[in-house]
Amino acid sequence: MRWARIGMQAPSLVILMLVLAFPLVYSLLLSFQSYSPVDPAADGRWIGLDNYARMFTDTQFGQAILVTLGYVVLAVALETLLGLVLGIWLSRLVRTRRLMTSLLLLPMIATPLVVGLMFSFGLNPQFGYMTSALQSLGLIGEAGVLDSPVGAFAALVVMDVWEWTPFIALMVLAGLSAAPEAQIQAAQLDGCSTFQIYWHVMLPMIRPVIGVAILFRATEAIRMFDQVYILTGGGPGSATTVNDIFQYRVSFTAFDMSYGATLGIATFAVVVTLTWVLFRYLNRRGAA
Amino acid sequence: MTTTDARVETRPQRTEQPRRTPRRAFVTVLSVLVPAALMLAYLSPIVWLVLTSFKNRVDIFSSAPTVFFTPTLANYVEAFVDKGFTENLVNSAVVGIASTLIALLVGLPAAYSLSRASKGEGFMMALLAARLLPAMVLAVPLFVLASNLGLRDTYAGLIAAHLTFALPFTVWMMRGFFLAVPVALDEAAQLDGCGEWGTFLRVIMPIVKPGLAATAIFCLINSWNEFLFALVLTGRETQTLPVAIPSLITPIGTSWGQVAAVGTVTVMPVMIVAFIVQKHIVAGMTGGAISAE
Repeated sequence: MRWARIGMQAPSLVILMLVLAFPLVYSLLLSFQSYSPVDPAADGRWIGLDNYARMFTDTQFGQAILVTLGYVVLAVALETLLGLVLGIWLSRLVRTRRLMTSLLLLPMIATPLVVGLMFSFGLNPQFGYMTSALQSLGLIGEAGVLDSPVGAFAALVVMDVWEWTPFIALMVLAGLSAAPEAQIQAAQLDGCSTFQIYWHVMLPMIRPVIGVAILFRATEAIRMFDQVYILTGGGPGSATTVNDIFQYRVSFTAFDMSYGATLGIATFAVVVTLTWVLFRYLNRRGAA
Repeated sequence: MTTTDARVETRPQRTEQPRRTPRRAFVTVLSVLVPAALMLAYLSPIVWLVLTSFKNRVDIFSSAPTVFFTPTLANYVEAFVDKGFTENLVNSAVVGIASTLIALLVGLPAAYSLSRASKGEGFMMALLAARLLPAMVLAVPLFVLASNLGLRDTYAGLIAAHLTFALPFTVWMMRGFFLAVPVALDEAAQLDGCGEWGTFLRVIMPIVKPGLAATAIFCLINSWNEFLFALVLTGRETQTLPVAIPSLITPIGTSWGQVAAVGTVTVMPVMIVAFIVQKHIVAGMTGGAISAE
């Protein structure tokens, strides 16, 4: 029995050690060094906590954190509100629900880079249909949306909302389908209006599901990279330089590997904390 | 799902009237047209990309957005026959299939074993953390290690990188499917003389086949869609499709039709396959941590 169990789990453990644990530890060690493949002076010397000290005084990094925070909070809040409405709407559909759900999940399964590409096409100042629509409404000028800091940031949020609102909606739909019938019928007998039933009876029932959905979206949004890379590249200026774009520049444009590793470790700490909260949430639900 | 339908239908409808007035017919038409129009507007970014891939240069740059035009396959021919994008397609397929096969081969027994163990929460927690780990955190050490080991621009390097998410995903997802199989079946098999491996291979695996298919499809999609690892670990020889796309966009003279063609070919297989695994999509998107069923 015991040997069978070891035989079943060991290969996974070994591979995870090799491709996950070892690189993470390597990254941690790297964060205490000064290493860059393009700089002979940065040859892997041990410099203690200098990288971490640099991180806390790096105004560009601070800027990137602010952009990321603003974007995550704004996008996830909009997604939650719209996803709730969309999920309730889906739950009330009878014949067309399957079709609608199938169509709504297309954006979130699509290759993230191509999602960025789609918006790059739509918002192209020369031939984008979104650009001409916005121009005919008089909202933007010749240069297009992505030319201004506010426009580019808004485009990023809208793109994320477009891609991920159905995720929240599907979670809400699943929660509503699992909601117990008895309370709803009792509320109906007591003369509650439809709105009252949703607000006072069903919303509290699906609150845990919504909580999990929000946390998942937050941990995903923190690492947004592909779509930004192709749509704005982080610009104009630093308006859309989210955390991962900033780290990419540090590690793979400036090749400051050890500082990049430091920023990665810091991000990891944040994600682990979020995951821990998520895990406790899941366990309390008993659905893990 | 069906219980909700029943509830919606039995809810008393105050506005219901037996007569069929013109006004009511108008409302019915609106209730079909408005959602359809909204859905079309919602999916317009996808439609626009696909349309653009069939346009020639003049139609792409026409001053007003055109929906009616003479479709051409020239962009596809140029991108996949004249330029080397077929190679990128092959690279994407090779890396996707290899990483999926390894993840399944190694991850299935582990998932089964974990589903039958009373302990192992620590392992699962670590796997969830791995699933949610930002790729950027791993990209730096993997890049340095791959450079030192001479694994950059090789399939092996990228496949190893893709295992960092494929394996935890497989274990999480499949554990859910294994948990749904009653332990009584294991016990019955063991009474009949099956060992733990025998039980797993001959009794339990056939039951979870649908789940296995869904897991494999999600592994393929995740690998196919992956961008960052491929961006930093591949070179001329092993570039996957998503990495090839940005290299087409240059400040001087981008051939937008070809970009759209490559983008369409990248995204279409995923969207078509998504219909097959629609039932498991919430579980798939959350790394198997939540099952909507």
